[in-house]
Amino acid sequence: MQGVNRLNGAQRKPDSDPAEDGRPDLTRLLAQVARGDHRAFEVVYAELAGPVYGVVRQVLRDPAQSEEVAQEALLEVCRTASRFDPAKGSAAAWTLTIAHRRAVDRVRSEVACSRREERAAREMTDGSGDVAEIVVATMDGQRVRRCLGALTELQREAIKLAYYGGYSYPQVAALLGVALGTVKTRIRDGLIRMRDCMEVDS
Amino acid sequence: MTTPRDELHVLTGSYAVHALEQREREAFERHLQGCDSCEAEVRAFRETAARLAMARSLQPPAGMEQRVLAATYRTRQLPPLLAGERGARWRLGAGRRWARMPGMPGMPGMPRMPRLAVAVAAASVVAALALGSLQVVTQQRLDSARASGVAIARVLGAPDARIETMATSEGGTVTVIVSDQQRGAVVSTSGMTPPPDGRVYQLWVIDASGTRSAGLLPTVGQTGPVLASGVLRGDRIGITVEPSGGTSRPTTTPIVILPA
Repeated sequence: MQGVNRLNGAQRKPDSDPAEDGRPDLTRLLAQVARGDHRAFEVVYAELAGPVYGVVRQVLRDPAQSEEVAQEALLEVCRTASRFDPAKGSAAAWTLTIAHRRAVDRVRSEVACSRREERAAREMTDGSGDVAEIVVATMDGQRVRRCLGALTELQREAIKLAYYGGYSYPQVAALLGVALGTVKTRIRDGLIRMRDCMEVDS
Repeated sequence: MTTPRDELHVLTGSYAVHALEQREREAFERHLQGCDSCEAEVRAFRETAARLAMARSLQPPAGMEQRVLAATYRTRQLPPLLAGERGARWRLGAGRRWARMPGMPGMPGMPRMPRLAVAVAAASVVAALALGSLQVVTQQRLDSARASGVAIARVLGAPDARIETMATSEGGTVTVIVSDQQRGAVVSTSGMTPPPDGRVYQLWVIDASGTRSAGLLPTVGQTGPVLASGVLRGDRIGITVEPSGGTSRPTTTPIVILPA
């Protein structure tokens, strides 16, 4: 749970009681979701829908497609909650891995999305045209910016293109005009520095 | 793939941010199974990547919550993996891209393809054919769903939509999503026992002036959503077992009654 507590922003004692700091215990909630507890899923939704939608939107840009993919990802969280293993990472990381992966899958299968289908999806996804886009400002946001700023330019660009851009590393290499091997190493080095900068537990 | 092991190890970062293309991803996943240090690194990178996501948190569109919650009521959850089945936790498989989302507006279900088929489809010619037929299927579903789908989506997406779920005396559950603004209720059932031969499940709206039919539930098992219009707060929704074709008034005791 340490990762989750930190993920939600402020500096907290690693073993702080979730009830104490007011943040829901997502690991416990996912176990309840796995048993069919819809109320627990509502709390999970309230905690993670913002980051899920945010990262999907970051990758896909198109609001209608983003909403669709974010919905699919959140439904997958509910559907596969029994497969979440807290020994393998935080609930937030598990959820956001699902969401990012789905967004990237959508980008890579773009050929399957004809214009027509997009339009139809847009019509059926009510109210997505006039999305009120409120960026949720967080402590995390500040720290991420600071840590990204501490990377080399190549590391930073490679990570941003890969993660926020949803590009494969060969595509990143082409965009940056550097060798494949260089990009692979820069992404890894950059993530190691980010990890240390943000003091994420392994 | 002929990538040497040490080169594979460098891929932890690209793997964690989903920057590998399919063949390399599969090769890396095989490598990962025997490489504890890679697994630990991937795990840590995923926490780091999650922070990158948190930093871009956005307020989701209004109505998304109701749509997601409504879909969770219609979706069967996976059972936990038991000992001996473990090992596939973080790698949810190539089939996910095609994962089917039953009945959620704006997300037409796509046919589930087996993993092997997905791999084969990577060959460009095969992919073009497969994707072509997917589009046809998807388009047909969209066309047939669109007429009722738009009205249903309005109810599900209404800011005042609320959800009631109740078990029926025939097993399974009924979920009703009601919007006063849209004056409608979307009814879906899940896991109900099929009605006896020659019988159907009929949906009723009960209000101050009496009981009127809102139609028949199409099939059993998992039925798609049915729209009952003209529903207001304080009305009730009931389901009875009736002769094929339905009746003008309920003739049996309701198997469930929910408040609208």
